[in-house]
Amino acid sequence: MIRKILLKDLSLGPRSPIVLWALVVPFVLTFAFRIVFGGLFNTEPRLGIVDLGNSAVTEAAAQLEGIKVTFLDAPDDLRRLVEEGNLDAGLVLEVGFDDLVRSSAQPQLQFWVGGDSLASDRIILGVTALDLVRTMSAVDSPVDVSVVAIGDQGLELSVRMLPMLVIMAVAIAGVMVPAASLIEEKTRRTLSAVLVTPASLKDVLVAKGLLGAILAILTGVMTLLLNSAFGSAPVATLLAITLGAIMMAEIGLMLGSWAPDTATMFAAWKGGAILLLFPVLFTIWPTLPQWIAKLGPTYYFLQPIFDLSINGATLADVAPQLAIAAVICIALLPLVMRFGRLLEGRLVGEAKHQQPVLTNA
Amino acid sequence: MPGSALSVSGLSYSFGQVRAVDNVSLEVAAGEIVGLLGPNGAGKSTTIRMLTGQLRPDSGSITILGHPMPEAREAIQARMGVCFEEKNVYDAMSAVENLRFFASLFGIKRFDPMPILTRVDLAGRAEDRVSTYSKGMRQRLMMARSLINEPDILFLDEPTDGLDPVSSRTIRDLIKDQAARGAAVILTTHDMFEADELSDRVAFINEGSILAVDTPEELKLAHGQRAVKIRSRDDGVISEIVVPLDDPDATEQLRQAMSAGHILTIHTEEATLEDIFVEYAGRGLTA
Repeated sequence: MIRKILLKDLSLGPRSPIVLWALVVPFVLTFAFRIVFGGLFNTEPRLGIVDLGNSAVTEAAAQLEGIKVTFLDAPDDLRRLVEEGNLDAGLVLEVGFDDLVRSSAQPQLQFWVGGDSLASDRIILGVTALDLVRTMSAVDSPVDVSVVAIGDQGLELSVRMLPMLVIMAVAIAGVMVPAASLIEEKTRRTLSAVLVTPASLKDVLVAKGLLGAILAILTGVMTLLLNSAFGSAPVATLLAITLGAIMMAEIGLMLGSWAPDTATMFAAWKGGAILLLFPVLFTIWPTLPQWIAKLGPTYYFLQPIFDLSINGATLADVAPQLAIAAVICIALLPLVMRFGRLLEGRLVGEAKHQQPVLTNA
Repeated sequence: MPGSALSVSGLSYSFGQVRAVDNVSLEVAAGEIVGLLGPNGAGKSTTIRMLTGQLRPDSGSITILGHPMPEAREAIQARMGVCFEEKNVYDAMSAVENLRFFASLFGIKRFDPMPILTRVDLAGRAEDRVSTYSKGMRQRLMMARSLINEPDILFLDEPTDGLDPVSSRTIRDLIKDQAARGAAVILTTHDMFEADELSDRVAFINEGSILAVDTPEELKLAHGQRAVKIRSRDDGVISEIVVPLDDPDATEQLRQAMSAGHILTIHTEEATLEDIFVEYAGRGLTA
């Protein structure tokens, strides 16, 4: 019975604005974050080099760390790649470039910069290019630049936004889809039609919960894949996403059982979403007291995903947090059942009936 | 009652302080059509909701097809069909998809929806989304949905409410067919003509109580006044005489009326179900 209701809901998915919205969210958020932050994990500046004369600069460039260097044969190819935004900058080394530098002849160096490259990348690549050339010079540099890293040595802000992307994707699919589906069935009275067949309210709730969990897993995985953030322990990451999806689906069932209409559901979402989202604030701003994040239930699947994806953690490292997430999922079950009985009371028209009438399956 | 499909005893239900159904008792046999006749708010739909397992009664017992409701809800609902007053079909699905989904809930494999859709004149729009259907088409689809499991007992809540005459005729024919194959049919209506035409028995229900249960003919004989109305013209003056047939000297009155002049029209008159309902309840069916 659960499978039949689930299949019906899945077949209706492409016709449901909420489901489509949930599926589009990972793409939209990833796209938006890339515009703002330039991508989560492709943060290395990309430099292209065409060496027409076997320059020593090329050999030195190949040894560079923190810069992705691509070697090409033709200047036209290099220019095209830079124009298309596939490289941030391009360097063309003419024949005899090294000899001209050593003789202090001041040869012309073509350095193309992509129009849509990040300003930070332009500066990095520009300085790097000059530094590479300077090593070819026979003349000592008038100054010696000493590079000293200062400030917080932690992760970039763009990387710290990963939990925000994940929670948005998982929560919208996991919470909103089952809640909206349940509310639609209530308000259109199709739920009553289903409940006068051998199907029970329990069947309906389990099917809706599975619908939300499946979509939440899908959108969570999509988000990580789109951002190349699945990490080195994919099974553990998938486990964390699954626990998060179950947790969100349970919350979705409670919301759907409680809210009488979609307007109330969205109002509750606006007011209550902060309870789900607040742990990510502590990842974004790591100087905040981290113990507060642990008060949020979503912390226990978001932090493992972050650690697995970014910090190279293993399943053993995140096992304690995942265990707590599993305990939270189990602890939510009685609450879901309680909200189910609330829905049952509303369906029979009066809350005065304490004994369930529709859950004999 | 031999072959009883439904047995209800002392059924009551209150919404807060309002007694919606009050000590209702009723028996319905297999193959019988019983109409619950009463105005809006009389308790008809609440009674149906209890009978179909959507409401738990405050008191009383319900036995359907030999099983207690709601204790054996699942077993009963597998053999039950329900047509709701609300048009609660899945708008985003086609008629075929709607029927196949509900057939799957009844465990029916390889269900072919076309015969029943043809029967309700929806075969030509079978693949269209229900959101494009008219009210009448939705009602016919709901009727088709209530029949997919060939139910032994059928609950119909205002099945022809707001329908055009052609759609109403289609639904009424279907209801008669179901009774003819042996299904018990309980329908609610505030349309006295529909109740008269369809029902083997009618139950007058008002303010949650059943006031009377009998065949339409017996109710009319027991409570209505039968009469003959004769219009005649004598010396250019048109007169009208009403002869109550239950009077002891009705035959003599009729003879005199027939010879009173040139007869223009003769009509027989009998009480309608509404007349009888008013006599019982002191209010009309559309009140």
